[in-house]
Amino acid sequence: MSKNVNSTQFRTVDVDAYDEDQYEDDARDDESGVQEVADRASQVKQLLNQTKSKDALKLALQNPPLGHKDSNVKQQNYETVLSVLKSFRAQEIDAAVEDLSNVEVDVLMKYLYKGFTANPDKSASLLLWHERAVKKGGLGSIIRVMVDRKGV
Amino acid sequence: MASTCRCCTEEHLERVTGVDWAPNSNRIVTCAGDRNAYVWNFQPETGEWQPCLVLLRINRAATYVRWSPQEDRFAVGSGARLLSVCYFDPENNWWVSKHIKKPIRSTILCVDWHPSNYLLAVGSCDFKCRVFSAALKELSDKPETSAWMPRLSKFGTLLAEFSTTSGWVHGVKFSPSGNKLAWVSHDSSVNVVDMNSQDKILTLLTSFLPYTCVLWLSEASFAAAGHDNCPDLYNVSSDEVVYGARLDIKKEKTTDSNMSAMARFQKLDDLGATETGTKLYTTHVNCITEMRVVATTGDKIKKFSTAGKDGKLVIWEVDALCSKIAGLKI
Repeated sequence: MSKNVNSTQFRTVDVDAYDEDQYEDDARDDESGVQEVADRASQVKQLLNQTKSKDALKLALQNPPLGHKDSNVKQQNYETVLSVLKSFRAQEIDAAVEDLSNVEVDVLMKYLYKGFTANPDKSASLLLWHERAVKKGGLGSIIRVMVDRKGV
Repeated sequence: MASTCRCCTEEHLERVTGVDWAPNSNRIVTCAGDRNAYVWNFQPETGEWQPCLVLLRINRAATYVRWSPQEDRFAVGSGARLLSVCYFDPENNWWVSKHIKKPIRSTILCVDWHPSNYLLAVGSCDFKCRVFSAALKELSDKPETSAWMPRLSKFGTLLAEFSTTSGWVHGVKFSPSGNKLAWVSHDSSVNVVDMNSQDKILTLLTSFLPYTCVLWLSEASFAAAGHDNCPDLYNVSSDEVVYGARLDIKKEKTTDSNMSAMARFQKLDDLGATETGTKLYTTHVNCITEMRVVATTGDKIKKFSTAGKDGKLVIWEVDALCSKIAGLKI
């Protein structure tokens, strides 16, 4: 007869942690911290109140908190960017995107796709931004959104 | 020019993932998903290629194979996250492999040999491009030190490791002198590093679809090709990589002038556009997977070929491209 095993603790062992084949990303360094994101949010708000939308856009797209452990930080930055995008009129979008550097276009693309997934039904304005951003950044900027392992 | 298939050989049991021909010793090495590689020797009497099995000792599919410049060894990358460098053991009359495992953490996609025969660049799915020493004491190697290998290092020593922000490294190539290393990755970027300043990686994030292969056309320029179905030229200076030109020019789109106004508006109503835009204006109609040198004059490439998933093999003449595309610098 088999010995009755009383302890079932073996069931709580995480077998995957011991798996040699498991791949782990390199240590993520948070690019911008909680304070920076909060500061940026208030600065962007100020610029928007002064109707300096282009400057607000450039500031909002600086140093995104890529792969930050705290999702609230990422959410806050996302809302900052979204508020700037929504403040633009359709005709102004072209000029605004023209001014952006290649890195900023890539960051903009990441936030656009985040917006698409968050609100698939209400993305009309974001689609307008997307069209202009693709004109500037090409398909490469979209690929970089898909390939990015640290979410924005 | 029609080409005939001279010889068909069947030995592999799974999809053949890599082929390389050694022009001086006239041997072919193939590797496949069946975790094997074969070295094929030509028998002039029968006109047939005789296979010789290589024991790779891997437990996943092989993905890429390349002969070294002196053709005494070859490197096989695999999904087993290790590189097998194989050399011939005349005592037992077979090919023996030595593994390089640490610190590669994912499938190897591409390998390139340095002209010195002792260094290997490896691009893999863990988003890194690495340089290893492949000096084998079994073959009495006497490597020289260089900026890539400042101290004599034994087989398998990691000499350099470069990261892309993300994206699998699809293609990697040493420049003709071996001083620079270029690689292309799936985040649509092309990267170059010089061996004398290894902390300064020159990256260009392109607006095109990702490239899968890269080929140096001279010491200062390389061509990259991939999912955009045509090769693009890039020029390298000491502090930047600059896009040169698209190397494929087919005739421009001709607007369909025969469509009546009624038909045009109908099409606009139905499809939202007057042109359906499904015609491709490149020579290749699907992703290019390989670029190889066909002919050289001195140290400049005269002709190179591209092969793609559309089943086409296209040969490009550099001189003709230079005359067709204005301002092309190679």
